[in-house]
Amino acid sequence: MTAQTYTAPDSVARLSRRALIVGVLGLAACGIAWTGRSDEFYHAYLIGYLLVLGAALGSLGLLMVQHMTGGKWGILIRRPLEAATRTLPLLALFFLPIFLGVSRIYGWAQPVHGELSEFQKNYLTVEGFRTRAVIYFAIWTGLALLLNRLSIQQDSKPEDRMLRRQLQLFSGPGIVLYVFTMTLAAVDWVMSLSPQWVSTIYGFLFVIGQAITAMSLMIAILVMLAKSEPMSRVVEPKHLHDLGKLLFAFIMLWAYFSFSQLLIIWSGNLPEEIVFYKARLMGTWGFFAVALLLLHFALPFLLLLSRDVKRSSGLLPKVAMFLIAMRLVDLTWITGPEFSRQGFQLHYADLAAPLGIGGIWLFWFAKQLQQRPLLPLGDPKLAEVTEHNEH
Amino acid sequence: MNEQSSKLYGVMAEFATPEELLEAAEKTRAAGFANLNAYTPYPVEGLSEALGLKRTWVPQITLLGGILGGCAGFGLQYWTSVIAYPLNIGGRPLNSWPAFIPVTFETTVLGAATFAVFGMLALNKLPQPYHPVFNVARFAAHASSDRFFLCIEAGKASFDGAGARKFLEGLKPASVAEVLDE
Repeated sequence: MTAQTYTAPDSVARLSRRALIVGVLGLAACGIAWTGRSDEFYHAYLIGYLLVLGAALGSLGLLMVQHMTGGKWGILIRRPLEAATRTLPLLALFFLPIFLGVSRIYGWAQPVHGELSEFQKNYLTVEGFRTRAVIYFAIWTGLALLLNRLSIQQDSKPEDRMLRRQLQLFSGPGIVLYVFTMTLAAVDWVMSLSPQWVSTIYGFLFVIGQAITAMSLMIAILVMLAKSEPMSRVVEPKHLHDLGKLLFAFIMLWAYFSFSQLLIIWSGNLPEEIVFYKARLMGTWGFFAVALLLLHFALPFLLLLSRDVKRSSGLLPKVAMFLIAMRLVDLTWITGPEFSRQGFQLHYADLAAPLGIGGIWLFWFAKQLQQRPLLPLGDPKLAEVTEHNEH
Repeated sequence: MNEQSSKLYGVMAEFATPEELLEAAEKTRAAGFANLNAYTPYPVEGLSEALGLKRTWVPQITLLGGILGGCAGFGLQYWTSVIAYPLNIGGRPLNSWPAFIPVTFETTVLGAATFAVFGMLALNKLPQPYHPVFNVARFAAHASSDRFFLCIEAGKASFDGAGARKFLEGLKPASVAEVLDE
């Protein structure tokens, strides 16, 4: 490998400018919804926030899996993954409306609420909610900064075995910690909307959803980078093939987790459990459920079954971006019925919140991507990945 | 081996390195020879492309196996619970399809995997207790350890064995041999 710079191309700067415009407009619309003091703002904001958080946390998870497995699939997307994890401080800032608006969003934080068990009364408190949120963000941000610092050190010291060892040493427990804290966060932020209902696979549904969001984003970013120098010399169909295969597996895992929850609750048919699906399979929410089955699973499954699609720099990023949109539909379907049981009604904040938070996030992500070389120059497997041979 | 009753299966060249083999395969294909095959002790990247091999049908066969397996798995459950032995379980409909999904998934995987393995074997015409290439002594001794072989197969059409031999010798191989079919 000759000495090359691997700085981000102009397309990244363009992306960051456009994302900023969308983000500012979206947030402005959110602001109008907020000054209207409408609950719709908080509902839409929570859903939009969960989508964007998924891109960053999913990236953190994939990054740690990459360090643990050392798979060649992750070398080319390691720097974009790291850039995405460095947005976690920004996402902590974006959490503020939820942090401050606890009593506007969650029934248990209001003076009049349904029956709670003794444990729930002690656990679901405004102070507890806020303290736990601070702890989650401290852990996620800490992991992200640690991995990023070690990674940049590796660029100048490719021979340092100790650094590689350290990256693994933190990633292993990091994955456990991420899944554990994300499960608790999903319980706090979403499941507690209906405290009488419980599901033990709930956290995993969020984790796999975040993995899909992050992998989809990485595919789109890699294809965008591959359109111009210097990455156009590196990225080949075989690299997209690997990422496409992983995305395919994630979609199946998402369907597997989702269906497991449905099957167990459907088999049990208990009144306190079945309410979850009664609200989500009837009326307009029922259309969401069918759309998820067909468009979040069946369609991408059939498309990604094909080798040609997985290797296509034209079609694969389209499937990936479509899946990010479907993630929003899934999060709306999981969360929305708690706010409007009768059915789905589109409020302008439902679009403004994901576009606003997502736009600013993408702007920040692009800024982070420009700060470091686009390839982990110190990774010992890099030469193997950038070798020109087809298989 | 009876020289009189044996017919020419093809002409084979031996190479010491995979790079030489790749180069030779490309040149041979460019010279217009059809029915090429190569034998290597381990997978060589780019060899399929160099030989101009068509893409295999294994993916399509696997898909077919998956569809058949899934239909059979679901059909079996539907037949037993709705037609052959209908039972009222907890007031649920007889065709309680959510309960059928796990088994349907498993039989889909079973069908796809079985078709993939046996489809691959069938397309490779395996198992094959006899193959003429083993009549070449150097092939039998080295093909699975340290040498790389390129074979121009005669096929059905009229085949100029001498011409093929001459062409292969021009590629500077370690050795060239006629492959005879007994």
